[in-house]
Amino acid sequence: MNALAKPLAVARKVALVGRANAGKTSLLMHLTGSLQRPANFPGTSVECITSETVAGNTRLCILDLPGIASLQAISRDEQVAIDCMGGGGDATQRPDLLCVVLDASKLVVELRLLQEVRNLGRPLVVALTKVDVANQEGLPVDVERLQRALGLPLAVVNGASGAGIDALRDLLATAPLLPPPFAAPVSLPEPPTHKRRTRTDRLDAFLLHPLLGPLVLAGVLVAMFQLVFTVAEPFLGWLEAGQGWVEGLVAAVVPDGMLQSFLIDGVVNGVGSALIFVPQIALLIAFVSAVEASGYMARAVFLLDRLLRKVGLSGKSFVPLTSSFACAIPGILGARILENERDRLATILVAPLMSCSARLPVYVVMLAAFFPAHQAGLLLLLLYLLGIVTAAVVALVLRKTVLRGGTSMLAMELPVYQRPRLRLVGAHTFVAVKSFLRAAGGVIFAATIVVWALAYFPRPDAIAERFAAERDQVQAGEAGDAARAAIDAREAGTYLEQSWLADIGRTVQPVFAPAGFDWKLTVGVLAAFPARELVVPTLGTLYSLGEVEASADEADSRLRDALRDQRGPDGKPVLNSVVALALMAFFALCSQCAGTLAAIRRETHSWKWPVFTFVYMTTLAWLAAVLINQVGTWLGFAG
Amino acid sequence: MLAVHGDDELAHRLVSAGLWPGTRVVRLTAAPFGDPLLFLVHGYRLALRRSEAARVAVALPTASGAKA
Repeated sequence: MNALAKPLAVARKVALVGRANAGKTSLLMHLTGSLQRPANFPGTSVECITSETVAGNTRLCILDLPGIASLQAISRDEQVAIDCMGGGGDATQRPDLLCVVLDASKLVVELRLLQEVRNLGRPLVVALTKVDVANQEGLPVDVERLQRALGLPLAVVNGASGAGIDALRDLLATAPLLPPPFAAPVSLPEPPTHKRRTRTDRLDAFLLHPLLGPLVLAGVLVAMFQLVFTVAEPFLGWLEAGQGWVEGLVAAVVPDGMLQSFLIDGVVNGVGSALIFVPQIALLIAFVSAVEASGYMARAVFLLDRLLRKVGLSGKSFVPLTSSFACAIPGILGARILENERDRLATILVAPLMSCSARLPVYVVMLAAFFPAHQAGLLLLLLYLLGIVTAAVVALVLRKTVLRGGTSMLAMELPVYQRPRLRLVGAHTFVAVKSFLRAAGGVIFAATIVVWALAYFPRPDAIAERFAAERDQVQAGEAGDAARAAIDAREAGTYLEQSWLADIGRTVQPVFAPAGFDWKLTVGVLAAFPARELVVPTLGTLYSLGEVEASADEADSRLRDALRDQRGPDGKPVLNSVVALALMAFFALCSQCAGTLAAIRRETHSWKWPVFTFVYMTTLAWLAAVLINQVGTWLGFAG
Repeated sequence: MLAVHGDDELAHRLVSAGLWPGTRVVRLTAAPFGDPLLFLVHGYRLALRRSEAARVAVALPTASGAKA
């Protein structure tokens, strides 16, 4: 008989409970072989990971609760974990069994948490992790004595190698679902305060050194940027090639017309706009979770806490803000690690000011068109600094006004250094990419469709007739191909010029006139609302260039030349280096990204903060653009 | 150490981090510019800001080590 066909008699819901660093997630990984899906707790945006496995004829549904330090919640995540353990009023949601994960290297502190959880009276088993780390640190654990003293089912597991995991799985499946017996708190002898120097002590002497420490940190950041921007490049190329292939396929199957345009410029482009962020986000999350798993991230927070506190943030803001250089969305989701709600909000609200990877194509096109190579590098650095400095000022102002007060806290463990596990890093990355697509993918897609519709309609017939007539005059055969391509490009440009989007652009243009933007640049700014990088292809269409792409290190030379050659009615160039600088500064500070606003809405549970972010960032962006254009023109740089 | 002052979130967090009466606390190092500080508590490394450490009352066992 097939064992798999046999119906599983029992299903058990098990929750992993413990501190943030106890190794819950790696246990889940070893127990079930994967991290299946991030799930939201009912009624909250707090995410947890659940996974299923089978032990004997019991189906185990295992839930990884957010880390807790005690049963008195300080952060939102902790509150959710505590509510979940107690059932939060809903008995069907309550786990059948709690598995308390204890870190053997800080057992004295962990036992106090265990005692608190035990007092809840819920069925309980104990998983003791990091016994090897405890030995390494000179804090050996007498497991047998501990188990006798606790009077609870206990399994020793190694979160790194997975040793002992089968015993734990069996324990979870067979442990009686009864309240734990009463027991007095277990007291352990206090660990020695003068222990021998361990590997972590030696590494800390170097990595927390007042001079060397910050240097190493800078090196780690540079490595991260290198990874995100250079290693992602081929993946971006493949994605673009894939998008081109799908577009070609659609063009071959669907006849010219509205449906084809909708499918290619709306649907395929919309999906592409969301997916194009995935390689960089995945690489960044992989890097961040590897650094986190190694124990170094806590050191970075330690080194930077004072600096970040000066601008009203916390050392813990470092992780989400760093992620935001690739994309603000994982940064905004990552701000959950901040316990203080006001610190968390301030971090979320300034995260979009970090120059994300979507701004890079805009910078590249403008820098290549208007500045010599030796100035371009410096200006690029200045644009990144503009974002960082503005973020510092905004954070400071927010914390002194609308987000004043609240107890900001550091009080964190600097864990023992460990080698990060590839499988766990991979699983974390996978979960984060899924969360990104869920938080932002749909919004980016929808915004792309709306902008497509605004740019496509009303499409007067007169234009089609005019260009059809022009096409007829071009001679047939290969000789006329170039001419026909040029006519196609001009036709697309003319349609866009007469679209609703252009009407809106012309209406709004007076607002941007002080910044030196003509209506075409204004349309580009509006079209970039779903995601910033869309400004590049929009300008390409407006300047009748056909398809234009700009990658991170190469600007399309045709767009570059077209931008330089734009002339107004008076014959003077419309665009010059001052306007280009104004446009770049605008994009450095604006919040043209539907996904970011959606992520802020999701994380703050209100429309107030995304609206606030959009308004303050757009205002700052406009002010910066106007300031640069006015001062630059006055100084005589324009021309 | 003797006691944690106050009865707010920070005090709870400090207690749940292992700072209860009778615990021995050793100062290990400090971040650049002297803040935050790193302590050894129950054999693990706990980072505290100066303002947080100030909530913890300690008695000096010898000339070296703990700080209030």
